[in-house]
Amino acid sequence: MRRAGLPWAGVLLGGLFAAFLLLPTLVLLSRGLGADFWGTLRSPAVLDALRVSLWTTGMTLLVTVVTGTPLAYLLARREFPGRALLDALLDLPVVLPPVVAGLGLLLTFGRGGLLVPGLELAGVSLAFSPAAVVLAQLFTAAPFYLRAAKAGFAAVDRDAEAAALTDGAGRWAAFRFITWPLAFPFLLEGLVLTWARALGEFGATILFAGSLQGRTRTVTLAIYGALDSELGPALVLSAVMVVVAFSVLLAVRMLAARRDRLDG
Amino acid sequence: MTRMTLLALLLLSPSAGAASLTVFAAASLTDAFTEIGRAFDARTGHRTTFQFAGSQVLRAQLESGARADVFASANDAQFTPLLGRVVTSREVFARNRLTVIAPAGSAKVRSLRDLTGPGVRLVLAAPSVPVGEYTRRMLAAVDRSGTYGKDFAARALRNVVSEEGNVRQVALKVGLGEADAAVVYASDVTPTLKKTVRVVPLPTRFNQTAAYPLGVVRGSVSADAARAFVAFVKGREGQAILRRWGFLSP
Repeated sequence: MRRAGLPWAGVLLGGLFAAFLLLPTLVLLSRGLGADFWGTLRSPAVLDALRVSLWTTGMTLLVTVVTGTPLAYLLARREFPGRALLDALLDLPVVLPPVVAGLGLLLTFGRGGLLVPGLELAGVSLAFSPAAVVLAQLFTAAPFYLRAAKAGFAAVDRDAEAAALTDGAGRWAAFRFITWPLAFPFLLEGLVLTWARALGEFGATILFAGSLQGRTRTVTLAIYGALDSELGPALVLSAVMVVVAFSVLLAVRMLAARRDRLDG
Repeated sequence: MTRMTLLALLLLSPSAGAASLTVFAAASLTDAFTEIGRAFDARTGHRTTFQFAGSQVLRAQLESGARADVFASANDAQFTPLLGRVVTSREVFARNRLTVIAPAGSAKVRSLRDLTGPGVRLVLAAPSVPVGEYTRRMLAAVDRSGTYGKDFAARALRNVVSEEGNVRQVALKVGLGEADAAVVYASDVTPTLKKTVRVVPLPTRFNQTAAYPLGVVRGSVSADAARAFVAFVKGREGQAILRRWGFLSP
């Protein structure tokens, strides 16, 4: 016998779970945007954290695009020995706990690390520098771009490229005017995800880059640090992060919709 | 095995009337309290678990309703505000001194004066962390004496490359060789850390004495066991363990 109407137990359970998932964000928004939002937002600790986060994630995106795009292209288009293995291993940082990533970076690029002789010779010292923050973000976030870009390059119609090449276009021109535009929605989605992940980086940064206001203390580190003393800056920065996260979701949705239209 | 022997075993085992005890303790107490906990459990049959973190973190957690039975802080600034509201008693059970450490393999920092050297990477605890507070007091004392020039503290603070959340994180940065120098407690130079760091002399007249208060948390479900733990820490056995880990008597 089938009962008509709403499955009440399901609605109740589902509703409770949805509320559980949404409530903390709403609380953060209401607490963070309340009272002294603008005053706290203009405090040096908050502004420094936002500035450090914007700078470092910007650098991370730049390095990701410049080095990640060729790698994704090779992985998507070229056959070479060990490609499948490399492809799988490059996803490793995505599933690795961030603090493990931080320890790995420390032991590789830190002062006692594997690459120390080379780095010292080059006069480079990474520890506690904004460059260390970028490395931590790059390590944990760039694989998101790699994945998306690979999918993008794989989805591009090879006939269109072949046609451009037979029409006399060079390989660079074919890439620039055919492959790149067709793969672009994928790349952009990957970039947005990478940025969101880089912005949220915490575990690797605190271990590998330390925490100093205006230099290496990103938004997430500042939130954690502020919890020790006064809640204000933590609430305001958290509210900002909620708004940013919502925008990221919106952007990804819109990009996906546009991509689907292009595909269809 | 018969039912009788099982029953006898249950009655004889120390878990009869045993309580589960949660102790929030300053990060610098990690080694000493872990050992005290083992000794206390063996003696009383209670089961003690610890949460070690910067005292300021523990205080914030207690203020927002974290359940604990005992709180041991590394300074009064993170303890006294809780007295009466969150913690019902206050007894100083240990003292500690500051010490400057540097990586064993590096000659960059040999004396206090070197903390202001060009390019020296100094790691301190944040000002809200007890050891961070004591460190800044020490730097102010050096400033007042004028021994190393008037703005010694300001110049040293300009060399700070990271402000950590607890003293063990500070020590770790030197232990790994990432930092050129750091200020920690004398008790943090544990046998393990001694293998990788070198102690830089800190003149006694600048040094600060840290006082550690502990107390029973209000609303503790095992208040008797909590009081027993406090008494054990202050007793002969607890004090001997603290001394062994480099703490001074209260």
